[in-house]
Amino acid sequence: MKKDKSILIIISFLIIILFFKSSLQGAEESLPIPDPINPYLVSKKNFPEFELPAIQNEAERNYLGVSKNGDFTIGQIKAEILIIEFYSFYCPHCQRAAPDVNEVYQQIQNRPDIKEKIKIIGIGAGNSDYEISSFKNKYKVPFPLFPDKRMEIFRSLRLRVTPTFIGIKINKNGTLEQFYFREGGFEDSQKFLAEIIKFSGIEPGEKNEKANM
Amino acid sequence: MKKQICKYRYLLCLIMFMILTGITTAFGQSEKFSESIYPVGKLKPIDTVPKLKVGDRAPGFTLPAVSGSKISLSQYVGKNSVVISFVPAAWTPVCSDQWPGYNISKELFDKYDAILLGITVDNIPTLYSWTKQMCSPNEKIWFPVLSDFYPHGAVASKYGVLRSEGVSERALFVINKKGIIVYIDIHDINKRPFLEDLVKALEEANKQ
Repeated sequence: MKKDKSILIIISFLIIILFFKSSLQGAEESLPIPDPINPYLVSKKNFPEFELPAIQNEAERNYLGVSKNGDFTIGQIKAEILIIEFYSFYCPHCQRAAPDVNEVYQQIQNRPDIKEKIKIIGIGAGNSDYEISSFKNKYKVPFPLFPDKRMEIFRSLRLRVTPTFIGIKINKNGTLEQFYFREGGFEDSQKFLAEIIKFSGIEPGEKNEKANM
Repeated sequence: MKKQICKYRYLLCLIMFMILTGITTAFGQSEKFSESIYPVGKLKPIDTVPKLKVGDRAPGFTLPAVSGSKISLSQYVGKNSVVISFVPAAWTPVCSDQWPGYNISKELFDKYDAILLGITVDNIPTLYSWTKQMCSPNEKIWFPVLSDFYPHGAVASKYGVLRSEGVSERALFVINKKGIIVYIDIHDINKRPFLEDLVKALEEANKQ
């Protein structure tokens, strides 16, 4: 009887250890937990900084406000809000989503109150430079696209599908905070942008009246 | 006896707790977008011994296409370069996003006067459903998709790319207008070849 009990204790102990070990591993780089009411809202999750390759195109450099010399980090992008689309040249869903994402960009550019505050970039998961420019030409993508040829960024964020849309706040002290996470495309670009603005909590700028001109 | 149940109740509670937490995690990660793709896991990168080499005459074949017609390699000789893209199987991860890339690159193939033929060992109905979800409902994939289903993998076998499990390698063959093989890429089945490598091969094929 006593032997029974000690075996039971040992087994329970082992199970507890195994359980905590696996949950710890899971917590290392976990995906955001969806909000029960707004499935794409992420509440205050720190976002890891990562590097992007230097941009050759001057207009795109100006758009992101980064200097010519070499690689830069996303924290250096001149914006309050950054929308990152993880996509792939080879993914039919991303191909279908491309015009919608272009529309979001246009809507932002048409609004002086948010134009300087919200920027968009695309990261091609598993795509080469050549595939990035092919996608850009095919869909006339007006915002900067970057290759993630070996999927290092994609994997480090534990992403699963393309397209994935991530919204992050770039704080004044350079820290990054994620507030939006969406797997899959969207049907309504206006609704998508409204969500981004709402969830980010930014105040559209003082130039509000110009927006109606 | 009762005492023993009490004891096991503790263990049972623990297991129940774990199952419940396990379920919530699994639910949180439910892949609403993985759709119908079958996860194959990591496969042996290459499982065949090459039968053909650059400079060989491309073996002829006639296969049924998803569109209903029959396509023969010989119909392009003297007119176009031909790219044959063998992919292992419909509804598997890497292949499901290799052809959609070619599907938005028609201009590229046109530029080099090249025809693309996609081949798998699947039957026509499977290929029909699979390629249908590669583009919008009102569109069609622009290149012929051929079924090497019966006799099973006969063309893949001729080209030396039929694997032991009955699917083909992920392989690209570029054949010039004279019908000669000018480029072979029997790729790691788990990885997608980059487009620029194929473009370089097409450039070369066009020069000859």
